[in-house]
Amino acid sequence: MSCAVSVKGLRKSYGGKTVLDGLDLSVERGTVFGLLGANGAGKTTAIECILGTKRADGGTVSLLDLDPKKDRRRLFQKVGVQFQEGDCQSEIRVSELCEETACLYRDPADWKDICVRFGIGDKLNSAVKGLSGGERQRLFIVLALIPDPELVFLDELTTGLDARARRDVWKILSDLKAEGLTIFLTSHFMDEVEALCDEICVLKQGRTVFRGTVEQAKTACGCDHFEEAYLMLTEQEAAE
Amino acid sequence: MKRYGVLLKNELKLNIRDMNMVIFAIAMPLAVLVVLGFLYGTKPAFPGADYTFLEQSFGAVCTVSICAGGLMGLPLVASDYREKKILKRFHVTPVSPALLLGVELSIYMLYCAVSLMTLAVAARLFWGVTLRGSTAAFLASWLLTMVSTLSIGLLVGGLAKNAKQAGVIASLLYFPMLLFSGTTVPVEVMPGAIQKIIGVFPLNQGIRLMKASFLGVETETLWLPVLVMLAVTTVCTGLAVRYFKWESAAA
Repeated sequence: MSCAVSVKGLRKSYGGKTVLDGLDLSVERGTVFGLLGANGAGKTTAIECILGTKRADGGTVSLLDLDPKKDRRRLFQKVGVQFQEGDCQSEIRVSELCEETACLYRDPADWKDICVRFGIGDKLNSAVKGLSGGERQRLFIVLALIPDPELVFLDELTTGLDARARRDVWKILSDLKAEGLTIFLTSHFMDEVEALCDEICVLKQGRTVFRGTVEQAKTACGCDHFEEAYLMLTEQEAAE
Repeated sequence: MKRYGVLLKNELKLNIRDMNMVIFAIAMPLAVLVVLGFLYGTKPAFPGADYTFLEQSFGAVCTVSICAGGLMGLPLVASDYREKKILKRFHVTPVSPALLLGVELSIYMLYCAVSLMTLAVAARLFWGVTLRGSTAAFLASWLLTMVSTLSIGLLVGGLAKNAKQAGVIASLLYFPMLLFSGTTVPVEVMPGAIQKIIGVFPLNQGIRLMKASFLGVETETLWLPVLVMLAVTTVCTGLAVRYFKWESAAA
């Protein structure tokens, strides 16, 4: 079976500064992939170039065997996205935002169900601007799941969530993965990465410094804890 | 069609909740009419004219809402959605730019239509304003004026770098057009030189047509304004769709 995400030699620079330097990665269907790295390592740029919202300087991207730029409207029937800084119309209510999102898809999931699942089922009539940080974050994950996607991109998915809510989100994502969903995420929480990711890629200044499983990272660095391994990988002098 | 319906319903609700357009596109034209009504009442346009001053100005008053929607509301909402990254979120859905622009366009057309109806009823009821020409020709001129002005707004909203720039361009277009459209001060009383300059605004072409069709007087150059407005509409809409941007250029 072909990969859900296949990226080869992705390059991007802004005004002479290289942000992505030949990124290669592939994500098997039905797995969770974590793109890691410090702030400014190029994670968000990588996601945007992969999704086609930013034009890469070079390299190829294939999502679900489609070209995100050329086949945009077909591809995004089956791909959900949660961007890092999600915003919406200033006066909009939760139900209106969900309805407006759902109407764009041929075969959307039941958004009321997903809201209930994410613990914001009682907020449907609230204004989005009145939600707490955590509720808002969960709402934007809900929006990414409304297409009933085969592949979902979650950029810093649990930023702003409390410990309980984080666990709940992990549980839901694990269940969805068991149902066949492919998840591409970025995160700064290594416990989360350890709990969710089948494979990771660690970026440092736009270059890949590690690719493999969490266990392989620990072994390679000789660390008991993944967070230590991660810090070693991101802090060592530009390897390779 | 279902997408269009849901988006239109939601976006219209949000727009009304915002109140700006209710004030500038519905209440303000009515206020202008009322002021003109109190000033001129049922006086003839000029001594010996067989139509009243209000009848002569009716077409121009109808463009107050067209200016508000097309040169203020539309460009600002488009650039605001881009700056807030709402369009970026739409970018990763199957929606087409044409559908999004079409929905926003429809909203402002609705405002203009509601304004036209309230103005017509009020003018008729209080100052006996009657359409002396052809209803069909008047509505066609109104439609053309509205569509061409909205298309300018579409282009401004589509191409402005950010909300601030859109706001500046919108003001630069809105205030002179409103001032020189003959809405507040009739074109007829302005100096000849200014009349010539503002004659090239597409809005004024439209007002000329609306006035002629409302009063039922012949215009010598019917095809020129029609052609100007059709050209403006085609070019602006085409460019707005072609160069539609999902995200602000900066960052």
